[in-house]
Amino acid sequence: MRRWWTWGMVIAGGALMTISYFFLAAPWGEDTVANSDPRLEFAPLLFVIGVIVAFSAAVVYELMPDRTDE
Amino acid sequence: MAVRTTTPGLPYGVGRLTTAWKAFVAIAAAVVALGLYAFLREVTQGMRVTGLRNLGTGGGATWGLYITFVVYFIGVSFAGITIAALIRLFDLRHLRPLARMAEVLTVVALVLGAFAIVVDLGQPVRGVINLFRYARPQSPFFGTFALVLAGYFFASLVYLYLGSRRDAATMAREPTRLQGLHRFVAAGYGDTPAERERHRRASFWLALAILPLLVIAHSTLGFVFGLQIGRPGWYSALQAPGFVVLAGVSGIGLLIVLAAIVRRTCGGEDCLTERVFAWLGRFLLVLLLVYVYFLATELLTGTYAAGEREVDVTRQLLTGDYAWIFWASVALLVLPLGVLAWQALSRRWSIGLLVASGVAVNLAAIGKRYLIAVPSQTHGQLLPYEAGSYAPTWIEYAVVAGLLALGALVIALFMKFIPIIELPDESREEVTADA
Repeated sequence: MRRWWTWGMVIAGGALMTISYFFLAAPWGEDTVANSDPRLEFAPLLFVIGVIVAFSAAVVYELMPDRTDE
Repeated sequence: MAVRTTTPGLPYGVGRLTTAWKAFVAIAAAVVALGLYAFLREVTQGMRVTGLRNLGTGGGATWGLYITFVVYFIGVSFAGITIAALIRLFDLRHLRPLARMAEVLTVVALVLGAFAIVVDLGQPVRGVINLFRYARPQSPFFGTFALVLAGYFFASLVYLYLGSRRDAATMAREPTRLQGLHRFVAAGYGDTPAERERHRRASFWLALAILPLLVIAHSTLGFVFGLQIGRPGWYSALQAPGFVVLAGVSGIGLLIVLAAIVRRTCGGEDCLTERVFAWLGRFLLVLLLVYVYFLATELLTGTYAAGEREVDVTRQLLTGDYAWIFWASVALLVLPLGVLAWQALSRRWSIGLLVASGVAVNLAAIGKRYLIAVPSQTHGQLLPYEAGSYAPTWIEYAVVAGLLALGALVIALFMKFIPIIELPDESREEVTADA
């Protein structure tokens, strides 16, 4: 269970970072002013949340209590 | 299984509020209040109370003392987490007493760096909201904010917290006023072999993730300047590596100073030995050598065959308005280099000389950051404007002093709750689960 949660958070955080950075932010290679804003407002915030989720995995890994049968 | 200390009371001055400590906290709090007052003046009366002015038409610089300290603070954070990560990654046991103070230094320096950015913004709230709303991830600025202030800061915070649990659990065994807090921080930690193994594994992977992240983060900060082709003095391939190395120089220097203070005030003589300081001294020496090489290369490039404007900026550094800062910074880099080299060759390390070197390289780092930020704005005009000038006002000095005092205050408070030196294994005694 501990590993599932940890890896789940690392993958979810990584996915959020990747999606927000490459797909929701300002288009890559487009230098016009019209394309200078992100496709989705607060896309940079999603990136930051992704970072926080990924690194929080370490806290979950250490703090999650053992199951009684472990 | 739980743990307890074999020595009575809490270790390394935790929970002991001495008169000297109270006086220090009172002075630091007063300086923080002064800084806050100056910042409020800035918010209510606008940036005109600072020395910052528009480039070209305003005849000034928009990035001044605040941005100097943004770069300085973020630089300081570099060495802290690097040392902490290296200790965990390579299991450098004799350096373990440094790990926590390095982590604390990193977290505090990053918070101060963030504050220094906020005070530089004319509209702080608008600036912070719009950063998360509209920032372009392709921009080095966003890279700096997201990687340094989110990833790097959060990773360091997690690292610090997880590393503190074991000591908090140890201290929670003592019936003191802080017992509740220590239990809360320990969060059920019992120091079982399984928990130790989990912590070792988590620390290893965190360290592995943090090291490349921090190189990218500091390089990105260098790119904020280094990628600006229209600003003579900034556009340079050496900016990113130069930022990383100078960050290491200032951070290690400050860590030496902090370690010496902790050694003197918290009774850390037993673990913060001369060997630990010698290691820091050698590390600082290597980084200084690399940075002085970068400095010479940069100067040669800026004077030998550079463009007219590039040469103008370099001339300002060497013989113009900024010469005293430049040469003072060079002296404050070269003198410690000589002192450290002499100590390394003679294999005799003096903590006093190391502290003096640490202070000197930090003053040099502040000077160098100032010289990176300001002269290219006042004298690096590609458009036909007259050369400008910049002089910080008392508001800026007070805000920066407030930030420095805030950092000192946070570290001083932290030391009274959690040991700033990681407890050595010998100070613990395992007791049975029902103890």
